Amino acid sequence: MEKPIVRLQNVTKRIGRRTIIDKLTLDLPLGEVFGFLGPNGAGKTTTIRMMVGLMSLTEGEIFINGHSITKDYEKAIRHVGAIVENPEMYKYLSGYDNLIHYARMIPGITEHRVHEVVKLVGLEGRIRDKVKTYSLGMRQRLGVAQAILHKPQLLILDEPTNGLDPAGIRELRDYLRKLSKDEGIAVFVSSHLLSEMELMCDRVAIIQNGRLIDVRTIGGSETAAVAARVFIEVDRPQGAIEALLATGRSSIFEGEQAIAVEADRDETAAINAVLVAAGIKVYGIRAHVKSLEDQFLEVTGGERIG
Amino acid sequence: MGDFLQLVKNENMKIYRRPRTWVMTGILIGLVLAISIMWLTFGGRDASMWDVAFIEASVLFLLVTIFTVVIAAGGVAEEFTSGTIKLLLIRPWSRSKILLSKYVAIMMFAILLAVLLFASTIFVNWVAFGINADPEVVPNTIPNGDSPVSYLMQYYALTLVSLVVTVTLAFMLSTVFRSGGLAIGMSLFLLLGVNSFILLIAMLDYKWIDYLLFIHLNLTQYLDGNPMREGMTLGFSLGVLGVYYILFIALTWYIFNKRDVAS
Ligand SMILES: Nc1ncnc2c1ncn2[C@@H]1O[C@H](COP(=O)(O)OP(=O)(O)OP(=O)(O)O)[C@@H](O)[C@H]1O
Ligand SMILES: [Mg+2]
Repeated sequence: MEKPIVRLQNVTKRIGRRTIIDKLTLDLPLGEVFGFLGPNGAGKTTTIRMMVGLMSLTEGEIFINGHSITKDYEKAIRHVGAIVENPEMYKYLSGYDNLIHYARMIPGITEHRVHEVVKLVGLEGRIRDKVKTYSLGMRQRLGVAQAILHKPQLLILDEPTNGLDPAGIRELRDYLRKLSKDEGIAVFVSSHLLSEMELMCDRVAIIQNGRLIDVRTIGGSETAAVAARVFIEVDRPQGAIEALLATGRSSIFEGEQAIAVEADRDETAAINAVLVAAGIKVYGIRAHVKSLEDQFLEVTGGERIG
Repeated sequence: MGDFLQLVKNENMKIYRRPRTWVMTGILIGLVLAISIMWLTFGGRDASMWDVAFIEASVLFLLVTIFTVVIAAGGVAEEFTSGTIKLLLIRPWSRSKILLSKYVAIMMFAILLAVLLFASTIFVNWVAFGINADPEVVPNTIPNGDSPVSYLMQYYALTLVSLVVTVTLAFMLSTVFRSGGLAIGMSLFLLLGVNSFILLIAMLDYKWIDYLLFIHLNLTQYLDGNPMREGMTLGFSLGVLGVYYILFIALTWYIFNKRDVAS
């Protein structure tokens, strides 16, 4: 892996006696959409607050583009765009003036760029209206606009799909994937919408109670290799089980006119060959692949908070 | 890095795009007009324009202070209560500079109001009383020998010093408590409430009273040469105010830099 754009090392946050984030270590490369998944109260927002310097770290270090967020803040944050929780804007200003406000804070953002971004998030029609007249989804769009205004190398979005309609979610998803693939930027998205993450991310970290539980690659070989429960429809279940037991397989479940086994793709093909060789008629094979959601619930043990 | 003036421009936008700012400015100028017109109606035209201007200044400068305190108290607190502080801070600027841009914008507003008050009192009263004035009419609130303009200028300068200290106090309370209402309430209570029995406190014969902030906030006491407490000089008062000012500034910046933003 090339030099990571973000590096979290042993990041720990304690407030009072509670440990909210516990020794979190993560590296993010450029060109990847990275999901940050966890149930309510897992510590996603807290981690993001520390990544953008809104909260101090109790222990550990965060480097963005090689600059420490605690010691070299201005350099570290220069190439970061972010939404932290709800993107609250100045309600008494128009959407456009809000964007101008943020544009002024970073040199080199032209008016042309502001218009470009407005068009990109689909707010052309309402950008001159005051933000207090915006709907939740429009505010979210404006939030995305301010985050990408300066073409950051790292985009951090805390639950960006919150409040977006299905079309908006789809647009955002496509846009984020395009950003990471075409412009090579890193995108860090938090969510507890699991299905959402599956469609959008290259990798997903699962966090619970402030601890990193797992990092998985989506849609890669890892998922394909995951054992799934395979249902095989046969004419003689008993004969099929005997044939499979003879090959050394265990934990086979018998059903009416069917058997079920735990197997990955290659094993499924081998099982099929064994059954056919044993003269058993195979009518159908159906693999029930665990979705990320199943895996997530399995790992975190449901949506318990705390 | 970037251009600090752009930050001040942002803060100005946040002050002047709000109707309340214009309402306050309107009230101030409206009152100048109202007092002069009432004087003209009930008192007649044989008053000195300088007298009227001076009396209006001494009454309305309090309003300048109150209005600026309101803006200053909102300055930091409203960014926290509305949640906009998060998106404001995650820019390539240190927190100190962002805070400074707010402070500069608020001080500019204070000076703007003071200049508006000065200009409008002079202009309105010149129109009402000054044009073709009877040369017999001389100002009697202004000590003999002083030119009225320089006396008024001194009065404004001294009052501005107290204004800066009071507004800095409100700015500090806004940062510390992150609540605009509390900051306005406390500053105005300290300003108006304490002022009403400060004369009583000033009569007490303890040394520490010499170092109370509120004994020194009314610097115009030195203009006529009879200070509230015996032996106090303008230099001493300025010194005490200076120490408080540095204290307020240091505390404000320290707390703003240190605080976790978790709203
Ligand atoms: N300022 C604070 N003081 C004390 N505890 C806090 C503070 N902020 C957050 N916490 C606690 O830290 C934990 C993590 O909170 P955080 O907001 O990071 O969760 P999250 O993963 O973003 O949850 P959600 O999905 O609901 O947004 C929670 O248990 C919360 O109660
Ligand atoms: Mg959250």
